[in-house]
Formats: sequence, C-alpha cells, structure tokens
Amino acid sequence: MKALPSPPFLTRRAFLATATGSSVLLANRLFGAPSDTDTKPSPALEKLAAVALAEARKQGATYCDIRINRYRQQFSGYRLSPQRGSNQTDEVPFVTDQQSFGFGVRVIANGQWGFAASPLVTPEEIARITREAVLVAKANSAVQASPVELAPTKAYTDRWTSPYEKDPFAVPVDEKLELMHGATLTIKKDPKVFAAFGFLAARAEDKYFASSEGSSIQQYIVQVDPALQATAVDFQKNISRTRSYQVQPLSAGWEAVAKANLAENAPRIRAEVLEHLAAPPVAPGKKDLVLLPSHLYLTIHESIGHSTELDRVLGYEANFAGTSFMTTEKMGKFQVGSELMNIFGDRTNEGGLATVKYDDDGVLTTKFPIVEKGVFKHYQTIRDQAHLIGETESRGCCYADSWASVPFQRMPNVWLAPGPREVTPDDLIAGVDDGILIEGEGSYSIDQQRYNFQFGGDAFWEIKGGKKRGMLSRVAYQSKTTDFWRTLDGIAGASYWQQFGSFFDGKGEPEQINAMSHGCSPSRFRQVNVLLTD
Amino acid sequence: MLTQQEAKNLIDKAIAYSKLPQCQADVSWSEDAFIRFANNGITTSGYRITQQLSISSVTEDKRGGNAVVSELTDDAIKRGVEQAEALARISKPNPEDMPALGPQKYPVLGNFDSYTGAARGDVMIPHVKAVIDSARQSQLTAAGYIQRSASVAAVGNKAGLFGYHTYTDSSLSNTMRTAGGTSSGWAAQNSVSLKDINGETAGRISAEKCVRGAGARKKLDPGKYTVILEPAAVSDLVGYLGFNFGARDAEQGQSFLSKQGGGTHLGEKMFPEYITLRSDPFNSKFATTPWGPSLLPNERMAWIDKGVVKNFYYDRFWASKAGKDPTPAPDNLVLDGQDNTLEDLIKSTDRGLLITRFWYIRTLQPQTLQVTGLTRDGVFLVENGKVTDPVTNYRWNESPVRVMQNTLKLTQPVRSQGAEAGSSIVPAIVATEFNLASVSDAV
Repeated sequence: MKALPSPPFLTRRAFLATATGSSVLLANRLFGAPSDTDTKPSPALEKLAAVALAEARKQGATYCDIRINRYRQQFSGYRLSPQRGSNQTDEVPFVTDQQSFGFGVRVIANGQWGFAASPLVTPEEIARITREAVLVAKANSAVQASPVELAPTKAYTDRWTSPYEKDPFAVPVDEKLELMHGATLTIKKDPKVFAAFGFLAARAEDKYFASSEGSSIQQYIVQVDPALQATAVDFQKNISRTRSYQVQPLSAGWEAVAKANLAENAPRIRAEVLEHLAAPPVAPGKKDLVLLPSHLYLTIHESIGHSTELDRVLGYEANFAGTSFMTTEKMGKFQVGSELMNIFGDRTNEGGLATVKYDDDGVLTTKFPIVEKGVFKHYQTIRDQAHLIGETESRGCCYADSWASVPFQRMPNVWLAPGPREVTPDDLIAGVDDGILIEGEGSYSIDQQRYNFQFGGDAFWEIKGGKKRGMLSRVAYQSKTTDFWRTLDGIAGASYWQQFGSFFDGKGEPEQINAMSHGCSPSRFRQVNVLLTD
Repeated sequence: MLTQQEAKNLIDKAIAYSKLPQCQADVSWSEDAFIRFANNGITTSGYRITQQLSISSVTEDKRGGNAVVSELTDDAIKRGVEQAEALARISKPNPEDMPALGPQKYPVLGNFDSYTGAARGDVMIPHVKAVIDSARQSQLTAAGYIQRSASVAAVGNKAGLFGYHTYTDSSLSNTMRTAGGTSSGWAAQNSVSLKDINGETAGRISAEKCVRGAGARKKLDPGKYTVILEPAAVSDLVGYLGFNFGARDAEQGQSFLSKQGGGTHLGEKMFPEYITLRSDPFNSKFATTPWGPSLLPNERMAWIDKGVVKNFYYDRFWASKAGKDPTPAPDNLVLDGQDNTLEDLIKSTDRGLLITRFWYIRTLQPQTLQVTGLTRDGVFLVENGKVTDPVTNYRWNESPVRVMQNTLKLTQPVRSQGAEAGSSIVPAIVATEFNLASVSDAV
C-alpha cells in the first residue's frame, strides 16, 4: 500500500502561517452578527466551501461536504461551601468563555467515507485537508464492507436561526453572577445546608454546510441551561443528600432563564434538601410510580431514544455504545408499551435541544412517529442508512458535535405525547394506593442493548392511599424496557408537558456528545420493582 | 507537531497582552488519525488537527476569568486575553484562589513515540484487516476502533513558570458477535506506541470469547458470587476508587473515606495487605503530562499502601488550609499485582464467574461508594477451577471499596481501559461476595 504523506511537517507549516498572521478575527468576520432576517448564507463562507468542493472533484471524490463551524460556550456561577474546619462559607465564583472554530471535510471516494479537519480556515488548508479526506477514503476502500449509498435529498440554499428573544451572550456577566450569587446565598441561608451550587450555561453554534449536491446552508442555534443544587450532610449518620432545581434546558435565549424564577425556587430547594436528608429509606418491593417530566425525560432517552437508533440496531455501535433489542423485524408490529404510548422523533419542535432546520447531511429535518399506540414504527436514520431498511429518504438525524467530528446518526428530540387534556398529575396520584412520586435526575444506568435499566431520581415522595406524603430516600427502580412501558396507564394532559433534556449524550468512536430534549407530561407506571440502595 | 519554541511564543504573546497581575496560558494541540469498523468493513475514519489556548487571568484582589480560543492569530490571542481580563474584572474575589507558581522543574517523561506520532492508515489498516480476518474465520461479525494521537501540552504564566511536553497514545478495541446476536466477545489494547498494538492478538481473543459464549447461556439466580474480574473490569473499579481520594470530600463527610461522626479513615488499614494503589506518572506506559492540575511537578504517590489508606489528594488550596503539602491528583493509577496468571485465578476458584468487562457505571452512594453497572461481552461460569458454561449478563450494585476488601488474589498488572474511568495499570483479580442484582438480557 502506498504510504500517505507525512502530516506533521505540513501541519506545522500551516499552523505557523496562521499563528503568526495578522488578519482580523476570522470567525467573527465570517459569521458576523446573528441574523434572523437575511435568508442567504454568507458569500465569504460559500467561497471557502467552493475550494473543498472543487478539490474533492479534482481528486476523484463522488461526494463532498464541508462544515465550517464556530461554537461558543459561556459558563458562570457560584459554589458556596464551608471553609475547612469552620462554619464560615467560602463564596467561589467562576466564569469562562470558550470558542472553537474550524472546518471538517467529508468525502466519498472509491465508495468509502473519508474525513479530515483543521482549525486553520484558509483556502490553502481547505484544499490540503480535502486531499487528506480523499486519501483516507481511498485507503479505507481496501477493507470495504459495501459501498456507501446516500438517500436522495434536495439541494437547499438557506439561512436559519433558532427562535430566541434575548441573546444570552449579550446579557452582562455581572448580571448573571449576581443572579446565581443571590440564588445560592438563599439556599445556603439555613446553616444546616452544607453547600449550594448555581450554574448558568449559554451555548451557540454557528454552522455552515455546503455539499457537492448544491446545498449551501447557514444556521445559528442558541441554547441556555441554568441549574441550582443544594447539598446537606449528616456527619452523625455519615450520609449526604442533594436536591436540585432542574430547569428545562432549551434552544432559547435569556428569556428562558428569566422565566425559570431561580430566586423564587431557591428557598424550596433549601427546605427540600433538609427534608431529603431526614427522609426515611424506602421499603423495597413492587410499587406504582408517578414520574415527573424532569425525571421521565431521561427514562425515555435511555430506553426508547437509544433503542431506536438505526446505527445501533445494525451493529455500527457494537464496539462502544452497543446494539439494540429493537431489531429490524420488529418495525411496524412490535408492542413496546401500552396503547397510551405515542412517541415522536422530532427536530422541528420549538425549544428542543436537537431542533434545527437542516441536519449535518443537509437534510430538511422532520417529525416522525417512533412508537404509535405502543407499537414500534420507525427508526432514527440518516442518508447513508435509509436504504439498509428499504427506506428512500433520511429522517434528518445526522449530527457532529464539532467541526473536527465525523457526522453520524444522533438522537433527535424524542418526546412522549401528552394524555387527555383533563388528566392532571393529581389524578394520576389519586389512582395510586402504594407508590412513589419521582422528580429529577439521579443515577441512571442501562445495558448495551437497552433492556435492563436501573434509575434513581433527585427527590422521592411516598404516595399512600392516593395522596402525596413525605419524602423518601435511597430509592432506585429496576426494570426491563418493554415490561416497564407496558405498565404505562396514565399520562397527564398537554398543559403539564415539559421538555427536559441533556447536552451530554455520548456515542461513537472517537466519542461525541449530543444535545436533545425529551418532552413529556407526568406519567404513571404500575408495579415496578423498587430497590433500596446503600 | 507544535515545537517548544512555537508553544512558548504563543504563551509569551498572551502574557505580553495581559495587563492584570496574574495570567496563565495553557496550550493544547493534537493531531490524531482513527479508523472505525463494523460489520466486517471500515465505516468512518479520519485525520484531524485540534488546538486551543486557554487564558486565565486574575486581578490583585483575586477575581478570576477564563477564555478559551481556538484561533491562534495575534488578534485572536489578544482578544482572548482581553476577554479573560474583562471577565476577571467583572467577577467577584475568589477566596480559594492560590498565588501563581513560579518556575518549576518538571520531570522528563518518555511517553512520545515518533512512529506512533506519524502513523496513518497504511500502518493501522493491517490491524483492522487482521481483526476482520479473525472474525471471518469463525463466522463472526467484527466492529472496532483503532486510533493514534500525538499531543502537545504547554503551560506558562506571568510568574515565570513554563512547561512543554509531547506524548503519543494509541489503542485498538474490537467486539465480535455471532450472526444471530447470541454471543459477544471483546478485547482491547492501549499503548503510547502503536508498535505494541497487534490486531491478530486482539482479534483472536475476541473471537475466542465470542465462540466460547455462543452456547446456551446459563441464567443463574441473582445474588452474591465470587468473581474473577479481567483487567478492563478492574480498571473501571479502580478509577472510581481513585476519583474518591479527595481530602476535601473525605474531611467534609462526602466520601467513603469519611468516618461516621466526623473525621476520616486516613492511616487505617481498610484493605488486605496485598492491596496497594498508587499513582505513577513516570510509568512510560501512561500517556500523561509532567504536571497535574495544580501545575506542580507530578510525582509518585501511594493512596493505599499495603492495605492502609496512606494519602489523600490535597489540591493547593485545601493543602494550605490543612497545613499539608499538596499531593498530585489521583491519576495514572497502578494497582499492584501478584505473581499469578489469569489461569491461576481460575484454577483457585471452586465456583465463580469470569467477567470480561463492565458497562454504564454510576454512583449510588458516595459514603459507601456503592455503584451500579452491568457486565458485558463475556461472562463465564467457573467450576472446580475450570471455565465451563457461558452465563447471561447481569446488573450489579456493588462498591469498589468492598471489592478491594474482598479481593483474594491478583495477577500482574497491565495497562487497561474499561468503559468508564480512563486508563490504568491493573491486574485481574478474584474477589468474593460480588452483588449481582438482576439478569440483563443484553448480549
């Protein structure tokens, strides 16, 4: 086999060219201020992309796309915790602003994918990296399972911005710190509370995508994620407990943070962490569960979101994230859960963390049923998978977490449809004789085929005789995905529907993270195996 | 590679732009090449360069701000410094901020391999082929991942500290499954040198495990079992143990090292005398840097010495409050072994389970360090000193502390990596009373 050119020399030279250059800040010039009126992508980005598309053609690639992306993240907040050996509190602020900018080129040559990426966004480097991507593809064709086939997509020229009212990056950092300082001080006001933590994240993706099939798409996505947490410690019993105020992380602006009422919720967290610390341990056994959206979202994610990813089902994740019990013969007929269960894959719903107009294949995103009346209907797919299950178009689930990452199939927002309008959470509780109400995230773990799970929570309340009682501690429930969903017998109405989500879903090698939301209303599950943890 | 002079120039520029009393600049640069394969063919692969400069500035009255940039032009660095300083001025004083360290003498680590640093598809693809050939010979389907990276870490500050280090790393892991998905086998190799990676060996081990697991799998009742844990499983448990050696958490009632009623277990013999857990950054098998998060020179440190809780992790701030010297972060973990082979462990076991590796481990209770997780890619019954039948997978709820306390025998340690806790150098072990909570139908 022909040896590939030595990269370090080229890399170093290219690196120095940029490192010693004196241009204005390139990312700012290319992406400019976010625009929600202009419908056309930046001509400067199109010009750079054209270099990759032309070079790929020259090198014999049959397909090429380039993503030129910038990511911004800002984290700020406070930790309040006791000094060593005293009751005095240290108030520790933190603030960081991070930016990452570069491009990745993906090609198909000799029927195989190739990918290469660099942080040096210059025409020369784009041409060089495109050649590298073609070399990677050609080398790989020596060990080819089958040639890549792409489901057709239209060519789009468009510019899209996720809806937001107030740019979270434009809000002064001192205002953010003041908000978190105030909330954490409120939590720590009771000396019995050991520590308080307040966290505020703002995130933005500037994405540009161009393909050899004629698409040119610029998108801007803004997201916010605030949270508060209290910790209490009982030194005599050698136990500690936490209580969080989990806010829905959303594709939205500062207005979502304002609506979260952090200051107003801080006293509740303070009281509830102490109640959690004193709460009696659960008596294990079969119990009915009423799960609130801040908790149920992660159960949906782990058991249904992951099991219906087509790459897992087909063995592409076998060495890392795993495979799935939802094998292809089950499509269209397998009863996953009760008839109340209607679940959608959706990258179009407002506020969802995976919501975007076009995916990283350049496909217009959609909403599609994953489970209908309890029956499994459709997988999450991307362009190079659709033909493998006899479908003719992608469902728009392609995503890469960085300009330096290979785009692949990632989870869209996967949400549970609400129940009848008149059903309230109290109605669900009223129907439980011996059960537990669970809110928030705890310890989550599920096997690599998504059968056996064990989930904790952030707070647990006993339900006795149809009434919510005091808090419990040390609760986890263990079940099998299909057993669990088949016991679903009540879902509250649309006015209780909330979308919680995660920014840190891991999959792929090298591992990538993904953000998505899982909307749901409070729901009831019958006779689930509840454990007492240590 | 980014040379020492080039890294220093970037750091010097950042410091020159800085107007506040303290400024620290961290450069990370890496180049990596990777190939992913599944269904007996290559799927995705790539080659990439990543870089970033992290700038941390602190005012006279201990207000700190941080900015991270990936563009490294003069303008971008200047803007990054201005941003970090603007954030610092806006922030509030940090009572836990420590004064900047002056010049340090960092140890020289021998963990850069130039062959690995230059490797591309032509030297990695033969390993992929070897794995796939092994799979095909046994009518199995292979999926896996091979990668190598060459990294630069450099750091400098206004007080004259400067460090520069280059290191490489590589790995090959693969999973083989039967056509009907009735069995799964796994093997992995990790080394700073790609020359140590051998696709033939990794493929053979996976194939053997998969074929051995393909018979009717026994579904034993959940309960407490003697287990023989292969190094990948031990690596995850040891990683969880290492994360929890912080002095602060121990003293403040939030770790397994906290004592009921207050105080800690420091100095107590909590484990059998053949349990020694230590950090060894000088072991050239680790892809690591000569300094840790404190920027003090890395050093060897025993956390458990012959069964005794010997040291806690003190960061600079907590050490200053406790009147102690700071200690290195519990990274680059080595669990010392004994002169046994895996076969010896199997032979010494009347009835137990041989476990390949774990999956999806999460903490349930910090004070006992009870965690939950699952077995994966090969569980086998051991009876009268012999591996007999394949067994189903299990969910388990257990504490790595109790596992170390219940350990009877160990093999010699090897560099290994599980699913959750990074790389360590650990042996296989045999331990009693391991709590299997329920059957997992996953294969």
